[in-house]
Amino acid sequence: MSKAEFLLELLCEEIPANALPGVREQLRTGFEAELLEAGLVGAAVAAYSTVRRLIVQVAELPATQPDREEEVTGPPVKAAYTADGSPTPAAVGFAKGQGVAVDSLRVVKGPKGDVVAATKQLPGRPVPEVLAEVSSRVVRALHFPKTMRWGKGEHSFVRPVHNVLALFGVRTFTTRVPVELLGISASSGTFGHRIVAPERIELLGSEGFGAYRAQLLKAGVEIGAAERRAILERKARALAVEVGCEVRPDPALLAELVELVEHPGVLRGAIAERFLQLPEEVLITTLRHHQKCLVLTREGHVAPYFLAVCDRPDDPDALIQRGNEWVAGARLTDAAFFFAQDRKAPLASRSASLAKMLFHQKLGTFALKAEKVGRLAETIAATAGAKIDPKLLARACELAKADLVTAMVGEFPELQGVVGGIYARLDGEDEAVWQAVYDQYTPAGLDGALPRGLVGAAVGVADRLDTLAGLFAAGEILPSGSKDPFALRRAALAVARICAEAPLACDLTAVARDAFAMRTDGAGDETRLAALLDFLQERVRYYLTTVAAVKPETADAVISAHWGVMPQDVARARALEAVHSEEVFSSLAVAFKRVRNMVGKSGEGRFDVALLKEKAERELLAAVEKAEKEVQRAVGHADYVGGLRSLAKLAAPLDRFFTDVLVICEDEDLRAARLALLARVEKVFLRLADVSRLSAQ
Amino acid sequence: MDLQELILSLSRFWSEHGCVVQQPYDIEVGAGTMHPETFLRVLGPEPYRVAYVQPSRRPADARFGENPFRFGKHLQMQVILKPSPADVQELYLASLAALGIDPSVHDVRFEEDNWESPTLGAWGVGWQVLLDGMEITQFTYFQQAGGIDLKPISAELTYGLERIAMFLQRKDNGFEMRWGGGLDYGKIRHQDEVELSRYAFDVADVTMLRRHFEDWEREAGRCLEQDEPLVIPGLEAALKMSHLFNLMDARGAVAVTERVALIGRVRKIAVRCAKAYLEQRERLGFPLGLGNGNSKLNGKHNGGSKTAGKGAER
Repeated sequence: MSKAEFLLELLCEEIPANALPGVREQLRTGFEAELLEAGLVGAAVAAYSTVRRLIVQVAELPATQPDREEEVTGPPVKAAYTADGSPTPAAVGFAKGQGVAVDSLRVVKGPKGDVVAATKQLPGRPVPEVLAEVSSRVVRALHFPKTMRWGKGEHSFVRPVHNVLALFGVRTFTTRVPVELLGISASSGTFGHRIVAPERIELLGSEGFGAYRAQLLKAGVEIGAAERRAILERKARALAVEVGCEVRPDPALLAELVELVEHPGVLRGAIAERFLQLPEEVLITTLRHHQKCLVLTREGHVAPYFLAVCDRPDDPDALIQRGNEWVAGARLTDAAFFFAQDRKAPLASRSASLAKMLFHQKLGTFALKAEKVGRLAETIAATAGAKIDPKLLARACELAKADLVTAMVGEFPELQGVVGGIYARLDGEDEAVWQAVYDQYTPAGLDGALPRGLVGAAVGVADRLDTLAGLFAAGEILPSGSKDPFALRRAALAVARICAEAPLACDLTAVARDAFAMRTDGAGDETRLAALLDFLQERVRYYLTTVAAVKPETADAVISAHWGVMPQDVARARALEAVHSEEVFSSLAVAFKRVRNMVGKSGEGRFDVALLKEKAERELLAAVEKAEKEVQRAVGHADYVGGLRSLAKLAAPLDRFFTDVLVICEDEDLRAARLALLARVEKVFLRLADVSRLSAQ
Repeated sequence: MDLQELILSLSRFWSEHGCVVQQPYDIEVGAGTMHPETFLRVLGPEPYRVAYVQPSRRPADARFGENPFRFGKHLQMQVILKPSPADVQELYLASLAALGIDPSVHDVRFEEDNWESPTLGAWGVGWQVLLDGMEITQFTYFQQAGGIDLKPISAELTYGLERIAMFLQRKDNGFEMRWGGGLDYGKIRHQDEVELSRYAFDVADVTMLRRHFEDWEREAGRCLEQDEPLVIPGLEAALKMSHLFNLMDARGAVAVTERVALIGRVRKIAVRCAKAYLEQRERLGFPLGLGNGNSKLNGKHNGGSKTAGKGAER
């Protein structure tokens, strides 16, 4: 039997770019699930889109729907049969209702006991009918970031829909699928590109999806996002090479541009040389932000060109190029105006205006934030185990937010920090200061480089911890699932990353407590503080398992012991990862689990050494004392592998102790002494890692 | 094409497509949306089509006439099509053709840009329309106004007239753009910009502004508390409050913590006006009809993209 094919296209008004990748995925998975449910096994689903179209192709469809069986459950067995096994009226009624003979009922297990069940025969229906229902269900279930109504207001979708194309056939599209979507009955044709070829295209009788695709391409529409991207990249490269330039890589913009058009045209525009005097960051952002243009570079510097994408393959009268050049020139003139205006006064003179600028409804102004960040940064610097000049740090904190009141950041919010950094540099601020201002928002989570110096690192950590502590203290909506309106996960991850890699050896738990206390005048809700610490800890764990790339159980073992000093946490995790496949750690994990269980049950124990008389006890005590000294020395030298090896030497004495000694003995004093000994064992382990978290091989 | 030809062409085009050509509202507003011909007419079932120019004041955007692209007062051409016709995008493209912009040789794109006015309790979904990379129109399907869900839905087209004129004339300084009558924009408007900036940033009496804000708030309340609420006077009072707020804001007199509350006070009045207007129209029996098969407001439309003179703007 030949395989059939189905094509569905919704022609809409322009769909937001950010919705499209998700909608393609929903269309594909939605159709796959529904077709499977309908018994159309083996169908191959593909979804496409343009800025105006949502498209589904289903290939490898059986031409007819196979007959299927459906099991319907009915009344409980007790209600269905009398004691002698004859069917009750309930059973007879159920069978009749399902259209089956009463003696064909079977008994199956239900959630509340055995019930009777009927097996219904579902004869296969014409596939186009099934496809109509499937299409309707999938389209109804589509989820968009935002929906709207139009016209009489009867339908709700991402944008108004103008045409529905739904065709079915074997090799040739012979059948219009009778579906109505959003008030529009499916037709057998579609329309080409709005400007290039707006005419109707009839597809009944055309030779399948390939023919549809080819016809649309001829009508100025490329339905494949990957193909559009390839076209765009190829054209961009060629236009850059013509003027001896390279395209500045910009994958995020490219991904968006691909979704903004039906057919990507690319054109090169020139910008006046005088604009090259603007800071490059401003130049690039102006072109990207307002014009969604790709920037060209020559020998690493911005060249006086840009590439603009248009939604058509050509520029017949060069009007599009000239228009884009005019707009780019206008935008850059505007930016130059802001730049000149901002430069009339030094950055430092703007700090005063921050008292009028709200950071957050419950957390006051940016002036207040700047003050808190300054104090927090001081604490970080004092405990970071690194040389940070307090004067430069204070200056950086003072200037950090001043650019929020510049005209340039007003216009380009995404240049916050960068603009302040540039202005501070032009004002002749110390390099460490302007770089700290410039780099304060990087990295964004795992992406991007670290601040260039320790001053910047300290400012970045202090700023984010203040934000985190403030929002947790204020009881703001905290991240859950996919919702994280203040990007707190990214902020906390950046904190972990900066501390680990800058490095800053401050204790994050202590700094977070300070930050929380500062935002609550020491009278904060303890459960909120605990939530803040849990949240940070979870991000530290994420950092250890992704960037440091240790196993989850290794991260758990390290964090369970203690956490917060990132460079040490990372080093401990790496050391544990390096040694813990050694056999001795397997038995150590088991033994330490017993230690923790026992110590966990005891209170604070007195420790009368004289009570410990048995050989195994004396041996363990001696081993612990030795381990304590060795671990102390190893930690002092950051030799965590050495420290762990020292702990490994406790494996044998511990085993003997548990074999020979009954810890929970009758004599209360002796029991307390033994538990206290174990507590000492626990303590020395926990300086490095909670090895009970490791799996025993 | 100079600025006044632009205004005349758009007015004629939309007149030919069934719009009432209205006049600017004679109260300072921040946008054409605040004109009762938009804010009130989009409410309820009655079909309506209207077009008008609205000088729009944004005191905080004023730049002493020094920035070639920023004005404290600019002109919007506002078009409301209620309900939004199925061919609204084609109509819009045809309006460009009427300006001599032949879409067949340009790049016209509709990029997502949603609109929200916390002052009016209104929001919509739509696009900014880009012509060869230049933002020339805000295109919005109104979803809610005065806190009321709209049905039918209106399409709002807002043309930024200075921008379009500058683009068509390829001027990179707004003050050099030709207005008409042999004069340019600067000769006609530059001094206003200088003075309005001075007033908004340096001179306006904040105490007086605040007092009037409260006066008009009370007055709005009185209008709306009448046995038959006075909708238009109530809304006019809200518009005055909105402008007074904008002036205080430009003057730097609105504390950050106060901002949301002040906007909320204006919105409260706007929402009451919207409700009162709907009730009033209902009492009057929706004089413009319920839009069932109503054809008298759907004027002819011709002049598709292919009929315009190619490259006529040169």
